[in-house]
Amino acid sequence: MNTPQPNVLPKGVSASDFELALTEIRAIVGADHVLAEGTALAPYNKIMMAVPDEQHAPSAAVMPANVEQVQAIMRVLNQRRIPVYPISTGKNLGYGSAAPVERGQLVMDLRRMNRILDVDAELCTALVEPGVTYQQLYDYLQEKKLPLWFSCPTPSVIAGPLGNMVDRGVGYTPYGEHFLFSSGMEVVLADGEVLRTGMGSMPGSNTWQVFKWGYGPTLDGIFTQSNYGIVTKMGMWLMPAPPDYRPFLIQYPEDTDITKIVDALRPLRIAMVIPNAVVIAHTLWEAPCTKVNRADYHPGPGAISDEAVQKIRKDHNLGAWNVYAALYGTPETNAANWKIIEAVAAATGGTLITESADQGGRATQYRFDLMKGKPNLGEFDLYNWRGGGGSMWFAPVSQAKGSETLKQMQLAKGILAKYGFDYVGEFIVGWRDMHHVIDLLYDRSDAEEMKKAYACFDELLQAFAREGYGVYRASTAFAEKVAATYGPVKRDVERRLKRALDPNNIIAPGRCGISL
Amino acid sequence: MHSTARTILAGFVLVCTQAAVAADQPVEVRDPTYAKVCSYCHDKGIGPAIVGRQLPTVYIENVVRHGFRAMPSFRPTEIDNAALASVARWVSESAAAKK
Ligand SMILES: Cc1cc2nc3c(=O)[nH]c(=O)nc-3n(C[C@H](O)[C@H](O)[C@H](O)COP(=O)(O)OP(=O)(O)OC[C@H]3O[C@@H](n4cnc5c(N)ncnc54)[C@H](O)[C@@H]3O)c2cc1C
Repeated sequence: MNTPQPNVLPKGVSASDFELALTEIRAIVGADHVLAEGTALAPYNKIMMAVPDEQHAPSAAVMPANVEQVQAIMRVLNQRRIPVYPISTGKNLGYGSAAPVERGQLVMDLRRMNRILDVDAELCTALVEPGVTYQQLYDYLQEKKLPLWFSCPTPSVIAGPLGNMVDRGVGYTPYGEHFLFSSGMEVVLADGEVLRTGMGSMPGSNTWQVFKWGYGPTLDGIFTQSNYGIVTKMGMWLMPAPPDYRPFLIQYPEDTDITKIVDALRPLRIAMVIPNAVVIAHTLWEAPCTKVNRADYHPGPGAISDEAVQKIRKDHNLGAWNVYAALYGTPETNAANWKIIEAVAAATGGTLITESADQGGRATQYRFDLMKGKPNLGEFDLYNWRGGGGSMWFAPVSQAKGSETLKQMQLAKGILAKYGFDYVGEFIVGWRDMHHVIDLLYDRSDAEEMKKAYACFDELLQAFAREGYGVYRASTAFAEKVAATYGPVKRDVERRLKRALDPNNIIAPGRCGISL
Repeated sequence: MHSTARTILAGFVLVCTQAAVAADQPVEVRDPTYAKVCSYCHDKGIGPAIVGRQLPTVYIENVVRHGFRAMPSFRPTEIDNAALASVARWVSESAAAKK
């Protein structure tokens, strides 16, 4: 055993009160399922954000096995006013990982609650617990030979549907807007009460996973990107596996092509000719995932030059923009729609690459897998670009209009370059919006670079806000600053809700800027 | 390579099940944690190769729990202590990867 180190304490809680609470919690979950000393807590303090680890150090971690234990723990914490940070699979990498939003919060790690409670093959729905990973769900469907697909984010082998959905994450199949395709939640409230949303509130109802709205206000939304409850079950829709799946890549040679790409693809996406979340990835997103070594093109400090990026494109057959999308249907419907794709690619000057042409590189393969919901970790190659394990996602929302995209890209690229960072970005096309996702990659082992990364993110955030662009999601280090960009009235309403549902402010105070 | 279906609706079920099962056969018996987690990066050139290097088990266990640079940390709820000991031993004692 390691020598116990002094505990980090929750804000405003004395060592003796904390110990009393832990004793009560140990009685609920068993001593093995409470961690409260420094070394054992290390996995809950590994972050990629540009702030010191200490800022997000947990005081303890508790690992309940079921809903009853979650309820009992909440009663203890509520009575003793101890702040708790719930995680499900805990892989919110680049957004805060498994570490709490504020130093000293006790992490409630729900990963042990990992049952797939139901899969209805006729209705194509599932009900899962927080600890279920996408890989686990994938294996389950394979084992049972169920021809059902789900949508997953990139780190799908180790992340899970519930945690991803409550942070309003996205994936790459036609069901890529994950909250939209969830149906029903079970939530443990701060006082230990259990709420089931939608039809789940009704005794004896069997429609929880098929009808999201229920009667009266639909509450599901307030339990996403918030701190109003601990979500312990989630319903989700699965997609029937299509008989014909045709993924493709269209490459475009110039940065400025983004305008015509978006304007050409938007109508196809809105009309659902292309039903999935199209990704438009820039060269420097593709390059690391194709094993390009940055130092070969840019050995010195500072941001990579446009000339070097051009050379990478040429040497490795990458587009300035690389559009990934797919057709899902029958051979007949796909054949008809394929003609439209070919025509659009030709009219916009794009080079079309398909699975059968076998031209795609390494990045193409993981993308094609993701668009059918097959878990992998292919995108982790991004971190070999700069090295040093620093990453923060800057993810402003954009209209799906060409003119907007170029403006956003240029704004971001300029600010990143000022601090010596590269534009590693992609646009994920929702229906009418796009998530413009930029990975601010930096060397976290270099204290100076970490400071620069923080300042750079801050400037990105403020500069985009001045243009009226808000981010869809943010790391815990920037929760407060991001919340501030959305104006005072929304924040006031959020606080009123917090006061009503969690008057002692014990669930993840500070998450998404909400606290009392 | 596109899956093809001759009939429209019946094809939905049959074709996709076959395609999916064929693609996922395990190649060799490995430590289950290695196969289900580590291999996705360490066998794919994303993280460094770790098999066949006689890395000390203590080192492996430490890196798994603390993470290292871009490698995420893994909590006992994901890889429990017994599974961690097992995968560390397996990696430490493994021969270099067969290609
Ligand atoms: C290379 C790379 C690529 C990525 N690509 C994507 C992508 O394509 N799409 C995407 O969406 N993300 C992406 N991410 C970000 C992130 O890794 C995923 O979103 C991941 O799914 C989130 O982690 P998780 O699923 O383990 O959720 P968790 O970490 O368990 O949860 C996320 C957050 O939600 C809250 N929460 C969790 N569980 C509960 C609960 N039960 N009750 C109340 N609140 C809760 C907590 O605040 C927690 O921090 C990527 C990350 C990396 C490193």
